[in-house]
Amino acid sequence: MAREFDHLFKLLIIGDSGVGKSCLLLRFADNTFSGSYITTIGVDFKIRTLEINGERVKLQIWDTAGQERFRTITSTYYRGTHGVIVVYDVTNGESFANVKRWLHEIEQNCDVVNKVLVGNKNDCPSRKVVVTEDAQRFANQMNIPLFETSAKENINVEEMFLTITKMVLRSKLEMKERQNVTSNDTVHLKKSHKTKKKCC
Amino acid sequence: MNQEEIKSVVQEKFLSSERVTAFLCDAKVLYPERIMKDRLLAIVEFGDEKAVFCLFSSCYPPKSFTDLSIEIVLPIDNTFKCEIDNKPSDPEAVLYLNLQSRNSKFKFEIQMTPRVDNFVDDLFRGIDAVNKVPTQPEFVWLKKYNGKTEDDIITQNMVVPRSGVAHTQNSAPVALRESLIKHKMSDKELEYTFKKRFSIFCGTWNVNDKSPTISLKGWLNVDKEPPDIYAVGFQELDLSKETFLFDQTFREDEWYNAVLNYVDPRAKYVKVEKVRLVGMMLIVLIKAKHKSHVKNIMCDTVGTGIMGKMGNKGGVSIRFDLHSTSLCFVNSHLAAHVEEYERRNQDFRDICNRTRFVQPNQLPKGIADHDHVYWLGDLNYRITEMDPTTVKKMVAENNFSYVLEWDQLRQQHKLHNVFSGYMEGTIMFKPTYKYDPGTDNWDSSEKNRAPAWCDRIFWRGESITQLAYRSHPSLNISDHKPVSAIFSSSIKIIDEEKYRKVYEEVIKQLDKMENEMIPQVKVDRTEIDFGTVRYLELQVQTITIKNIGKYPVEFEFIKKLDETNFCKEWLIVEPYKKCIYAEESCEIQLKVLINKTSACKMNAGADKLYDILVLHLYGGKDIFITINGTYQRSCFGCSIEVLVNLNMPIKEVTVGKLIELESKRDQCVSNQSTYSIPKEIWFLVDHIYLHGLKEPNLFEQPGFHYEILQIRDWLDSGSVDPIPGSIHSVAEALLLLLESTADPIIPYNLQSVCLRASANYLQCKQIIMELPEFRKNVFLYLCEFLQEALQHSAENGLDAKTLSTLFGAIFLRDNPNQIQEPQSRINKQIIDKKKAQFVYHFLVNDHSDLIFSK
Repeated sequence: MAREFDHLFKLLIIGDSGVGKSCLLLRFADNTFSGSYITTIGVDFKIRTLEINGERVKLQIWDTAGQERFRTITSTYYRGTHGVIVVYDVTNGESFANVKRWLHEIEQNCDVVNKVLVGNKNDCPSRKVVVTEDAQRFANQMNIPLFETSAKENINVEEMFLTITKMVLRSKLEMKERQNVTSNDTVHLKKSHKTKKKCC
Repeated sequence: MNQEEIKSVVQEKFLSSERVTAFLCDAKVLYPERIMKDRLLAIVEFGDEKAVFCLFSSCYPPKSFTDLSIEIVLPIDNTFKCEIDNKPSDPEAVLYLNLQSRNSKFKFEIQMTPRVDNFVDDLFRGIDAVNKVPTQPEFVWLKKYNGKTEDDIITQNMVVPRSGVAHTQNSAPVALRESLIKHKMSDKELEYTFKKRFSIFCGTWNVNDKSPTISLKGWLNVDKEPPDIYAVGFQELDLSKETFLFDQTFREDEWYNAVLNYVDPRAKYVKVEKVRLVGMMLIVLIKAKHKSHVKNIMCDTVGTGIMGKMGNKGGVSIRFDLHSTSLCFVNSHLAAHVEEYERRNQDFRDICNRTRFVQPNQLPKGIADHDHVYWLGDLNYRITEMDPTTVKKMVAENNFSYVLEWDQLRQQHKLHNVFSGYMEGTIMFKPTYKYDPGTDNWDSSEKNRAPAWCDRIFWRGESITQLAYRSHPSLNISDHKPVSAIFSSSIKIIDEEKYRKVYEEVIKQLDKMENEMIPQVKVDRTEIDFGTVRYLELQVQTITIKNIGKYPVEFEFIKKLDETNFCKEWLIVEPYKKCIYAEESCEIQLKVLINKTSACKMNAGADKLYDILVLHLYGGKDIFITINGTYQRSCFGCSIEVLVNLNMPIKEVTVGKLIELESKRDQCVSNQSTYSIPKEIWFLVDHIYLHGLKEPNLFEQPGFHYEILQIRDWLDSGSVDPIPGSIHSVAEALLLLLESTADPIIPYNLQSVCLRASANYLQCKQIIMELPEFRKNVFLYLCEFLQEALQHSAENGLDAKTLSTLFGAIFLRDNPNQIQEPQSRINKQIIDKKKAQFVYHFLVNDHSDLIFSK
């Protein structure tokens, strides 16, 4: 029978206003880049289909408004998200400092969810203020993969999206397996339930 | 042809897992369109699911499933309905069958035959069964019969579903892009495939019940290069009765092993498939190195012999995909006897029609559904209208072409009666039948038949070249000589890397298409600043939504999480929901009006002129629209306790101070307050008292809106000028002021007590006595004033009843926050009457005692 995709995942891009969330999405979904800045007033999404290990994955990627005043509303879009991409601007220290707040926002609104940290605009070394080492240290501490990307120069964008997609896919498969194991346990051994990780 | 035979033909139209349980011939379609040509109705069962099919047959009765085409498919689900009527003019013989499923409705006229009972019974069994199961059948198997055009698939399935803000996003996989991908991939086939020539050896031999006692080298291994594929067909492997009846023979292995022994030893061959029906056997071998590229191997056998089904005659076939080319090999043994060429034609047609390769989850394939077909066998066509001696003579002179003019197969082929669309190479070899076994001598029996080219090889398909077509007379154990042909055939091979690339491109293209189908609009402004907004002054701003996508867009302003409305109460959005066609625009009016309900919240700091609207596009994004403004606070909407404490015009009071006063209004006590009643009320009342008591229609004629706004500004700014506006405007401003106070004069919690006491003046007085001080002041002050006004009823036309009704509704306001039980009109009238009655006492009785008790 015809199958369109094996998995449908919802990814969310968050981060301060102006760090290039929409550009990352545009680069990944349409492979285009526009230099003119249009601030996102709302939430938008695009789709892209990938094949990973022979499995067809359809991604619905949501791009959110980064402005502070929309934070309460945008947080309502976190529900049902499989993966979150937290973006900062490597040329803007404040946007990196705010990453913590965004991670907190995820915690508040999602259960366990896959995350990647993305330092965008990594195409002009002279303007870079968030050094890779600092970001990497922070990422390690938080146990989140770090990617330094440039939507403009198309650096690392595909890799970043592929990574989060693979993470989400792996989580899903693991969860399935775990569920199988747990159900076996209850049948045969009546073991106490382990706390199951939930994908939000 | 009896009914059972027709049924078996109908059955062939379906997969073997889909069983035809009942059928009817002679059904006329009356609705939705009258069609005169009869149709067949069939009930088909797949697992627990049943459906009614309406089929058209190109001939009657249908001879083969290819004569049938499916026109209507009606799944028997819980929407399925069946009604049966008699034809009024002919109730005994004709029935009307009304069938309805999902949104389709059909009416058939059927002839009353014994089969009808069966059919109808089966139909109702299906309906019963459906209504018994709790889950709805899905009818996945019917999808292949519901032909849909590509465009339909796009429009129906491509839109990504999504839900609004604050809903769990869990969209189901909807889009069925698979067929679109297939279509696009086949369009681009040339980009990722290349062609490679494969040599194919096809051989056929009627061995006339002999065992392989001789070498087959002279037949199978005579070419310069070993072929890539061998397709070797035998007929009359075994003529014994046992084989005929039980279809078992040791010869199968004998001849198979002989073939394996004598194929070209320079290459290693492996079996693709081997198939046998009685004496017909087909073996396909391929070079081992190609085997991994052989997929979907399938075979079938068709008997056309005795009774049209037995396997003494017929065809056996093998199909498979080699790389991306589908190949089909057929070995057939057609009807014998010189004069029976019509019968041979029919055998050919039967083999074509009845050979079916059924693959799981795919439409069954016939012979003609292949890129390449190689058809070999003892086709049994003879030479007629030429006497045997002449034939033999001309053949001896190698004058084949002349003799071939009388070859039945040539003649029938030319007339397209057989092998239409197939090719045959030029025959440059002697007839292959009939010899005395063991010799190269023509048959010496008394029949003295003309020799004939019974054993032939045909092909169809593109890019096939025949390199050789010959017989092998040295193999002489049979009364036939073996024949063989070598083909050079072009096979499509997929370049995996290129295929990937093209595939990814196609996927990207589809993704792009899908992304383009996501609704796109342009909103001219997403931040709307209303500037200064004043009490009761309507302000309107317009935003324009333009549909910049390719498809109609439906938008709606949607609720945010935990909110009951999509916007604040002081905002009106028109329209809040609409469909915009491509390239068109829609203007949306945003109206801000601070009225009595919202003003007090603004004054108390419980609300501000700020809202974010979520403009949702169905199947698309959300746009946030920010509404901003500054509310200029007014005495309208202040509570009485706050007003009595304002010793300056409200305009001069800071927002913070006002909010503070409002929050502390319950602690308000008289000795610290500036006034005993709000000065704003006093100004308005005093003005009417001085200038308007004799005004006709006082309190009944409305004022002018702009004058009321002037009065509002006059009160708020503490102007020293005389009060602007007419008496009627001042009177209306007074009513508005009283109505807009945060709490009514008589607190909400006392309302029911008041209503109960309304008939009793003393009780009413008691209630008033116990009111909070400033409320009581305002109440008594106003009643005194109204009594004064009633003194002039001759001029102003007032009467106590009217006034008490008017002020009853103001003094005893209904609580807007309390969820009201739906009041009946009568109930409401009674309550209004009681309110009026309550006030009435104070308009007609002297209550100076209350005032002086203070």
